This record gives sequence, C-alpha cells and structure tokens, in this order.
Amino acid sequence: MKNNPPVISLKKICKIFPLEIGGVQQVLFDISFTIDAGEFVAIMGPSGSGKSTCMNIIGALDSASTGVYELYGKDITTMTPDELATIRNEYIGFVFQNFNLLPKRNILDNVMLPLMYRGITPDDRNRRAREMLELVGLNKFEAYLPTQLSGGMKQRVAIARALSGNPKLILADEPTGSLDSKMGNEILRFFKKLNSDIGITIVIITHEFEIAQYARRVIHIYDGRITYDGPVPKTENVLLKSEQRHKK
Amino acid sequence: MTLGDILKESWLSISGNKLRSFLTVLGIIIGVMAVVIMVAVGETVQQSISDQFSSLGTNTIVIRAGAARRGGIRSGNRNTLTITDAEQIRRLPDVMSITPAQSGSAQVIYGNKNWSTLMLGTYPDYTVIQDIEMETGTFFDLTAVKNAATYAVIGPDTARELGLPDNPVGEIIRIQNMPFVVIGVMKARGDSAFGSQDDMIIIPITTLKKRLQGSKFPDSVTMVALKIYPDADNAMVTDQINSLLRQRHRLKDGDEDDFQITDMKQIMETMDTVTGYLKLLLIAIAAVSLLVGSIGIMNMMLVSVVERTREIGIRKAVGARERVIIIQFLAESVLISFIGSMFGLAFGVGISQGVGRLILKYNVPFSIWPVILSVSVAVIVGLASGVMPALRAAKLNPIDSLRYE
Repeated sequence: MKNNPPVISLKKICKIFPLEIGGVQQVLFDISFTIDAGEFVAIMGPSGSGKSTCMNIIGALDSASTGVYELYGKDITTMTPDELATIRNEYIGFVFQNFNLLPKRNILDNVMLPLMYRGITPDDRNRRAREMLELVGLNKFEAYLPTQLSGGMKQRVAIARALSGNPKLILADEPTGSLDSKMGNEILRFFKKLNSDIGITIVIITHEFEIAQYARRVIHIYDGRITYDGPVPKTENVLLKSEQRHKK
Repeated sequence: MTLGDILKESWLSISGNKLRSFLTVLGIIIGVMAVVIMVAVGETVQQSISDQFSSLGTNTIVIRAGAARRGGIRSGNRNTLTITDAEQIRRLPDVMSITPAQSGSAQVIYGNKNWSTLMLGTYPDYTVIQDIEMETGTFFDLTAVKNAATYAVIGPDTARELGLPDNPVGEIIRIQNMPFVVIGVMKARGDSAFGSQDDMIIIPITTLKKRLQGSKFPDSVTMVALKIYPDADNAMVTDQINSLLRQRHRLKDGDEDDFQITDMKQIMETMDTVTGYLKLLLIAIAAVSLLVGSIGIMNMMLVSVVERTREIGIRKAVGARERVIIIQFLAESVLISFIGSMFGLAFGVGISQGVGRLILKYNVPFSIWPVILSVSVAVIVGLASGVMPALRAAKLNPIDSLRYE
C-alpha cells in the first residue's frame, strides 16, 4: 500500500531578504519538518523569530530562497505566481489575524470568493458557501457586510471562507490576535473540533503558549531556526529552555 | 470566473465609490458628447453645402465670360460669351439642355410697392438646368425669347414683397419702368450656393438684352449654364467645350482662355474634401476632451489600485491569478468608459438633434458614426486607460498587499 505524502514537507528551507540600505538579511536557516494529514500543529516563536515568514512560505504566498517545499508531494518551490495562486486556491485555507474580509462584499460573497476563482458555477458556490456559513453558525447573516459583525463573527466568516474550497490545510496566522479571550477560545475550540471531527490539517502561527496548547504538536522557531519540534509541552519553560540552548 | 462575475465585481467596485466614479464617468460623458456634437455639426455643414450644390446638379456646367486671372488679378466679366456660343455648345452630343444667362439688378414696381431684386435673362431650358418647378402659371417658351416678350417669372419672395395677389398670373409689374406681365411664380427653393433663389425675376434673355439694357452687343452674355446627360463624363465635356470656345474665340496656343468653365461635380468634390477636413478638425478638437476624460479614468484606476491593495492581496491569497486581476481591473475601466460613452452618446445625439430641429429648424442628419465611435471609444479608452493600473494590480506581491494599511 502506498503511503500518502505528508501535507507539508520542508527540506532545508532558507529565506534571505535584500535590505533597502544594501546587503541582505537571512531570516530562516535550514528549516526542515513535515506535517502529516490530520495533524494540528502550532508554529510558535517570539516576534521577529521568522514564524510569519515560515507561514508565508507554507501558504505559498512567498517562495523560499533555497531548499525544497513539497505540498502534498508537489514541489512548489519553483512554481510561477499563477501556479502558486492555484495551489493556494485548491489546497490552502487562510485565516488571518485581521480577518482580511472584503469590506464592501457581503458575508456570502466573501465566503464564495475562493470558489469563484476556482471556476465553480454560481449555483454550486452559493450552496457550498451557505453550508459553510451554517457550519460556523452564521447562516442568518449572509447578507450582512463584515463591518456589521463582531470580531468573533468576522473570524468565523474567515473560517467559513477558508473551509469553502474544501482545502487540505488550514493556515491560521494569529487567529485570535484581534479577539478577546472568550472569543479567542471559542475560535480555537472550533479549530480543534474541525481537526478532530473532519480530520482537516491545521497549522496555527502564534506567539502565545496558551494558544499553542490547543494543538497536538508545537514547532518552536527562534532566530530563524527550529529549537523545538514535538508534542505540546506541559509548560512553556520547555520551549524557553530550547531558546536558551540555541543561544548558547 | 464567469462574465457575470466580472460584471458584478466591476459594478460593485464602481458603485462602491459613487462620487469618484460619477466624476470619472462625467469626463467621458463630456468627451463623447463633444465628439458626437462635433460630428453632427460637421455632417450638418457637409449636408447643407451638398444640398445647396446638388440643387444645381452635379451634371451642371457653368461657363462665365472673362479670363479667370490676368496678372494675378481676376479680370472680371467681359462679354466674351455669346448666345451663339451657347447654340454651338448645344450641338455637343452630351449636352442635354443649355441656356445663356445674363444677370442684373432690377427695380420692380407693383402698385405702390417698390422692390429691388435680382433679374436674370435666360432661355426656357433654365427650368431644366435649375430643376425649377412652378407654383402657379408657366415659364416662358422659346417664342417669347424669339419675340423678346415682356413676360416675367418671379420668385415667391419677390411676389410677397411686391404684395402681389395669391395668383398673380396676368398682373402687370414694372421693371425699369417697362410693363411686364407676370406669367408664373416659381416654387420656393430656399438658398442656393449662389444666393436666394426665391427673390428673383426671370425674363427672356432677349428682352433683357434688347429692351431693358439696350445693349450694343445683344448677342453677348455673362454666363452660359448647361446640363449634360447623367451618364456623360464631366471632364470630357468640359474639354470639348473648352476646345470649341477657344476655336470660336480664335484663341491661339498660349493665349489665356477668355472664359471660365466651372464643373459643379468638381466643385462638389472639392467641397466634400474641404468639409471632410473641417469635420476631422472638429472631431480632433473634441477628441482632446475625450483624451482628458480617459486620463481621468486612468487616474481613478491608479488611485483605486493603491486604495485596494489589501483587497488585491486577499483575492490573490484565496487564489486569484494575475490574469483574473488584470481582467477585473480592465473590466472596471471599460465599464466606466462604456457607461460614460453611452450617456455621452445619448446627450450628444439629444442635444444636436434637439438644437438642430427645435431651435435651428434644420434636419440634422443622424448617422451611425457616433454610435460606432462611442462603442469603440468605450472599449479602446477603457482598455487603454486600464492597462497600466491593471498590470500594476496584477504584479502586486500578495504578502505586501495583505500587510498594506
């Protein structure tokens, strides 16, 4: 029996940015890990550690300078911008800290957006978007504009949009950063439920250990290097110690 | 993405910023309206000139006495043309009808009314050459010419100015104190290229020369007008007339013609060219405002790309390819341009037709030109002004776009 390829496979990924004042800055150093289907992973690290850059590469929003990135066994390192757009559309659902909803489109239109770019017929995308809104409990708000909703509701719309394309992977970048703790916990429980019930692979980028605790695995990045990759530890000290080890 | 999606997205983006979109559309409305009105003005001028010349017919040739120029100065009408010349020209196979003609001014009296008008001495063939129709009475015949009869055919304006009765046939008017019998009134024809055709008196040429002018050269005339058969070649007949007259006037090789031949077809063609250039000039002037309008679209779209950077980033993040972003922005600029063009067309046609028919009482010709022009402008201006913003939008980096505040 042939094994399914991992959802994400990063091999020796480096990212180097040119600086405006001249010269370059390397923000990721030989990052390597795999994430299998059905995993719930938190990529953690303090501000400036490189976790967002790592997320951009995983989300096919950016390319690695060196190394190989395979998504579901497909090497996407050398893909063109249009090929990456197709990958994002078909494989990845994004949930951003600041929701990133189109402010002048209603909730239904926002949820249908990825389906429109996939070329799904208006009837089918309507049906699918309504199903997703029902899943996140917002089926009665489909005609509302994002500005008419609370932060938690906006994030649920973003989750509905991320799920509408039936992605292999949900990438959530600080998904509770703009929410109060109650709303944040509600969203995280929802992610956990999605992961356990549907089996969808979820990767959350966060700098908070409390949030990472909702995941089953933590990849800790510090100064552009992985300092910890394993099950969620009981205390954050384990992660902080891994940082200390790296500093030495 | 279906065409419906593209149109919906474009419309939502345009309607999302109503005032700015309206002002941008206004630029195109004014531009297209200006072009449409200028086309209408140009066509009206062309039509008007064409109407005036065509009242003479393109198969009309006019010969005037006197050389065209002498030492750079027009020598004036010397009486070098004769009625006999006209009779000889009549023998040319392509000549359908011909009349010698002599004009002058006349002081006309009827009762206590006194009116100064143009007087023309002609042959009966003048009716054929000028397509004259009679309102009442008849035109004089060749016998009247032969007998130098004191018959007068008058224009409707002259009849009105003189206060003649509704049917003035048989009334006596005095021209230069000589009594003339009014035998007919011409139908109104409006102005021609040679002045009003409705305020004039036409009498037999012999009557004019012998009785009124008492000319020492009763055979000489200032003009000969002729009509050739419609299938005849104007240039060839003109050459034949030229040769015939030079021979009759005993002009040697190298001598200048002592007459001028004017071919109406040639004049019409020249006028057509001139009015065509005039029309182009008017359109070119109006096109400047259209250009300004299209720059307005480009400006709006460029601002829109900057303002919607984050939106573009979101669209790209969820899978919009560069081509789709380009199509969306191009569709928006084409839609703005299309809306502006359609309103501009409607206003332009409305104003030109309204002003023409209601104020100037002139039937402004309606041509398909402005419609084709407007649709073409909508597409071309929309595409041209949208290309740069669309490409800029498509090339935006999704990460930078998502971070844009």
